[in-house]
Parts: sequence; structure tokens; C-alpha cells
Amino acid sequence: MADDPNASDLELVRRIKQGDDEAFREMVERYHSRVYSLSYGVLRNAEDAEEATQDTFLTLYRKIGTFDESKKFFSWFYRVALNSAYSRGRRRKPGITVSLDEYAPRLGSDGTETSPQYQAWVSGMEDEVIARDLAERAEGFIAELPDAYRDVIWMVDVEEMKPADVAETLEISLPALKSRLHRARLYVRQRLAEAASSAPALSERRAAP
Amino acid sequence: MSHDEMNCRRLILEYLADYEDGSMPAVERAALEEHLSHCPPCVVFLHSYRATGRTLRMLKPRDIPRNLAEAVVHFVKARCKEKP
Repeated sequence: MADDPNASDLELVRRIKQGDDEAFREMVERYHSRVYSLSYGVLRNAEDAEEATQDTFLTLYRKIGTFDESKKFFSWFYRVALNSAYSRGRRRKPGITVSLDEYAPRLGSDGTETSPQYQAWVSGMEDEVIARDLAERAEGFIAELPDAYRDVIWMVDVEEMKPADVAETLEISLPALKSRLHRARLYVRQRLAEAASSAPALSERRAAP
Repeated sequence: MSHDEMNCRRLILEYLADYEDGSMPAVERAALEEHLSHCPPCVVFLHSYRATGRTLRMLKPRDIPRNLAEAVVHFVKARCKEKP
């Protein structure tokens, strides 16, 4: 059974439904890091993510009786986690979201991309300092995305969840998920290239003989 | 898809995600790779797409708050005592 994560989850679910506190503790141990990380992706604030994690497990404890055991536990539970994070996020001032079309690749009449400087950026990524600096900025770029795109890119590319599992969690088709993922990646790629072109360390590197 | 149907625009806008996650059928994959073999701008695009993925993987929060699991259990127990 240990080879099947869902079967192992279901075993814990059944024990929690019967009031087994030890099973609840095991569930917290198993999922708290992933729930925290998912919450952080929505809220981008450690304190808020911690509180959303607590809210998520409280909901689990109270609503576990409504979980349909014919479904996968993690997809139900990740939806609970996303809803908890959204609920907490709504209490804050809404951020700025962008139009993805403005950041679509600029293709020339021959179909090739005309935006410059990508090669310099890709080369710069080999430098750990530059890569780390760009990664910190990427967090902000993801936050600029509309929710539906932000969740997908965070879950697939940051959390490294399987696309099929994310599609199931978000209750969308796999082609729809891939479409959102690709558009979100193109947006972040464009923003990273812009950031790289103005990063001092990269500029110095580019200017070096 | 025949070889002639692959071009920069379709590669970038339609096929790249499937190519990268390995879900592209072999025939289409071969056509895409044939295109890449003679299209340096698309190779640069592919590299920058991959660099985006590498950057995003660096973002995963690794500093999970200490004692978070314990705090969660304590929080849930306390709240459930308040409102059974």
C-alpha cells in the first residue's frame, strides 16, 4: 500500500473520520510542507502562508466527512488549500495583474522572434549570483499573472507537480492546463529577459571581453 | 504533421510545451527537431524557455517555518475545542 500514495492517504482519511488524532498528526506531517509552499505561491508572504496552512488543516479536520473517497485525496485537499489561501488573500489589497498578450513573443514576418538579448540572458544564467537574483524577481513576475495562470505555473514549474495532477486539482482539462502553462511561461520568460537586460551583474558580464 | 507544417511561429506558440514535457508524438517531435537543426533563432528561444524553467525551480520555498507541523496540530485542537 505504501507504493500507492492515494491508498496511503485514504487509510489516514478513514482513521481521521473515526476520530483518530494520531492519524491527523500523520496527515499534518505528510502534507504541511506542500500546503505551506502552495499557500506561499498564492500569498507570497511567510506569515500569511503559515496562517493559510493552519486554516487548511482546520478545514480538513472539520470537513473530512464530506470527502468522496472515490476521488483522489490530494486533489480535494489541494483545492481546500488553494481556497484557504485565496480567502486569506482577499483580505489584502489586490495586486496588479497584467495582460498576457502584451508580453507574447514578438514574432517577425518570417515567424522568428525579433526580441534581442535572450542569448546573453541564457548565458548569464550559468552564473549562480545572476540566476539567484533573477529567481527572486521571477517571484514578482508570477504574482503579476492572473490567478488562473499563476496557480498553474506555480504548481507545475515551481512545485514540480505533474501536469495531470494539477489539471485534476484545478478541475480543468489537460490541454487547457498546458495552454495556460505555456502562456504563463512565455510571460515570465519575457519579463526575465527584460530584467536580465537591466541587471548590473549581467551587463558587466556582457561588457567583459 | 508534415515537415513543411512546422515553422517558427507554430513551434513557439503551439508545440514547445508538449515537446518539453515529452508528450509530443514521435513524428511531430522529429519534425520539430529537424526545424531546430537549421533555425538558430528557435534554438535560442528553446534555450531561453528552458532557462525560464530552471529559474522557476529555484523559487520553491525551502525554509518551511520551524515547528509548523506542531503549530498546525495545536491550532486545530484549540479551535475545535472552541467550536466543536
